[in-house]
Amino acid sequence: MIYLDYSATTPVNYDVLESYIRATKDFPGNPNSIHSLGVKSKALMNSALKQISDIFNVLESEITFTSGATMSNNLALVGTCLANMKQGNHIIVSKLEHPSIYAICNYLENLGFEISYVDNDEDGLVLFDDLKKKMRSDTILVSICAVNSETGVRQPLKMIRQIIKKENPYTYLHSDMTQALGKIPVNFHDVDMASATAHKIYGPKGIGLFYKNSRVKFSPILYGSGHTNLLNPGTPPLPLIVAFAKAIRLATTDLDKRENFVRRLNDKIVNDLKKYDGVIINHSKICIPHILNISFKDIKAETFLHALEEYEIYVSTNTACASGEVSTSVMALYDDKKRASSTLRISLSHLTTTDEINKFLACFKLVYEKLSLLKRE
Amino acid sequence: MKKLFIIKYAELNTKKDNIGMFLRTLKDNISKKLSKYQAEISFDKGRMFVKTHESDFHDVLKELQKVFGIHEIEVGYELENHNMETISNALIEIIKESEFHTFKVETKRSYKDYPMTSLEISKYLGGVILKNKEGIIVDVHHPEVTFFIEIRRDRAYIYFERYVGLGGYPVGTLGKGLLMLSGGIDSPVAGYLTMKRGVKLEAIYFESPPHTSVEAKNKVLRLAEILGEYGSEVKVHVIPFTQIQEAIYKSIPHDYMVTIMRRMMYRIAEKIAHQNRCKILVNGESIGQVASQTLSSMSVINEVVKIPVIRPVACFDKLEIMDLAHKIGTYVTSILPYEDCCTIFVPTHPVINPEHEKCVEYEALIPYEELILEAIKNEEVVSLSKEQSDYSEYL
Repeated sequence: MIYLDYSATTPVNYDVLESYIRATKDFPGNPNSIHSLGVKSKALMNSALKQISDIFNVLESEITFTSGATMSNNLALVGTCLANMKQGNHIIVSKLEHPSIYAICNYLENLGFEISYVDNDEDGLVLFDDLKKKMRSDTILVSICAVNSETGVRQPLKMIRQIIKKENPYTYLHSDMTQALGKIPVNFHDVDMASATAHKIYGPKGIGLFYKNSRVKFSPILYGSGHTNLLNPGTPPLPLIVAFAKAIRLATTDLDKRENFVRRLNDKIVNDLKKYDGVIINHSKICIPHILNISFKDIKAETFLHALEEYEIYVSTNTACASGEVSTSVMALYDDKKRASSTLRISLSHLTTTDEINKFLACFKLVYEKLSLLKRE
Repeated sequence: MKKLFIIKYAELNTKKDNIGMFLRTLKDNISKKLSKYQAEISFDKGRMFVKTHESDFHDVLKELQKVFGIHEIEVGYELENHNMETISNALIEIIKESEFHTFKVETKRSYKDYPMTSLEISKYLGGVILKNKEGIIVDVHHPEVTFFIEIRRDRAYIYFERYVGLGGYPVGTLGKGLLMLSGGIDSPVAGYLTMKRGVKLEAIYFESPPHTSVEAKNKVLRLAEILGEYGSEVKVHVIPFTQIQEAIYKSIPHDYMVTIMRRMMYRIAEKIAHQNRCKILVNGESIGQVASQTLSSMSVINEVVKIPVIRPVACFDKLEIMDLAHKIGTYVTSILPYEDCCTIFVPTHPVINPEHEKCVEYEALIPYEELILEAIKNEEVVSLSKEQSDYSEYL
């Protein structure tokens, strides 16, 4: 099997899984219980929380564990909007967000909030002038993802934050950092709120985190009991939290080395795929190397995907969360419906081997020739 | 040119014959503190020198700022000889990377046979700096940067970044004390201040399960762990106090409950102190703060022991104590809301001016000597190395 869909989800690291199992066995108590079993579980949970907050250099109270990035995004957008309705009802998002952001925006629009979409240039970079123009005195929130999941476009969050705060110091910046964490350095201090998830960094599925700076005026949207994890109350999933803490630690070490390795793999694929007339590479200079997006001129991407599958090679069309539609991200980059309607995403990892890439390229050639032939007949 | 820390001693100039012991203890304390890092420590009568990897500098500095007996920490450079040319070249190298507009040079010359006087050296090197950096001037009164030059017999030091140390004496140079650690805000601060004067600490904590929770005990252990960061490990003697407390509650008039309880605690603490060669008791009592801390209460409570009792925060206001607790990092743990020994079984109107005779009379109502022996027999000693709360195998 050659897995090239690491941006959809990643295989769980063995050590992380081991931590999950051991925490499950060794710590049966509910961290919210006051007997010694509970106290022990809570101490472990606090250690995990501390490890995470130390890695991101934020306060422990600024981290909330969620079920994943989609839930974090919900908390971020809805919680901020509900708390700041008196200040305004205007939200700005980029055209390169994860579908979950647009779904939440839809809901907020129904509640009476107004959504603006900031433009980007052909590289995918958010247009600073357009952002300035769209900022208003009643803008309460801007949400721009750190790395686009379909194309790998990376946004300069620090500069974006500076622009926003200069225009309106009361506007908060949220960023979905799901595709950035573990691939490139992320800095929570560049934003007011951030979302991330474990299963994109070789952790288990079902746990994510929501970072919220303590200064953000925020309204909880979930209510319950328990003194921990206030924005997502209930019994904390201790084994998941422990595994997540470990996954974050492992994923944030040796970032440079891993990125350089992945960049070499990416270059190799780009160099090879360039030679196909029917393939357009949707790549710009601000893309991270882990995600490579291509469009087919005359082949249906979905067919190509299934054809590769016969060789046990796994890639994706658009993103896993939005299969079957036109790629909004590629649309946002090139404003070309044809180019956006047949896209393939190859996503790489430091676990990918050169050998796998060679085999992938060989199979790509076979499938490409076969499908092109079909076309002509 | 090797980057290093130069440590200036605090208050050791009053020591004469036993200064060697103080310095060796300081060196031991520092090397224990830096055991994680590869650090090379050397010292003479005037300075201690710590060399370590440059990548560890930031962390090592943080650790050094938690060691008692250090007046000031300088980040500087050691030069292999004291030739004027070597010093000049090093200075030129250093000023390339630093941003400043005004400066001065100060020289100390412990090697008195050096051909130039301190003043001459300062003047000469000031000239070197002026020639090699643009847009700067000398300001001898309020310079942004002061370059200190020290000329030794066979080498020289340059330093210009200085950090304040904690002061005090190296922990362990003045014997050992037993801290009555309650889990509140005051007693950890009292412990800190005692350690600052060079006293190594063990701690005693009275637990009354099921009236007090595991979390209350863990909180005390955590406080001891934080205190341990300022010196060597703080061992905690956990004394089972339930039987005594229940006996008091059943038999003794309620307004005297706290007074008698404190007398029992003092008696136990004195015995534990003797068993463990602690020369003093230390606690967080502050005059007038609560009923058991009025002068009459203190006097009636103190009279049951012969061992000296030191009360470092006796004359501090609560706010002053809280400030210190924040500074040393115990405050956040201290305010965690768990019932401890002192807040349970509290009468509505405790006596403010207890009388000796009444205490003796009431105490006769319970077999306290037996109960005390029993409690001491069942003490649990918790050694707090960091591993206590270390879950790194899972994380």
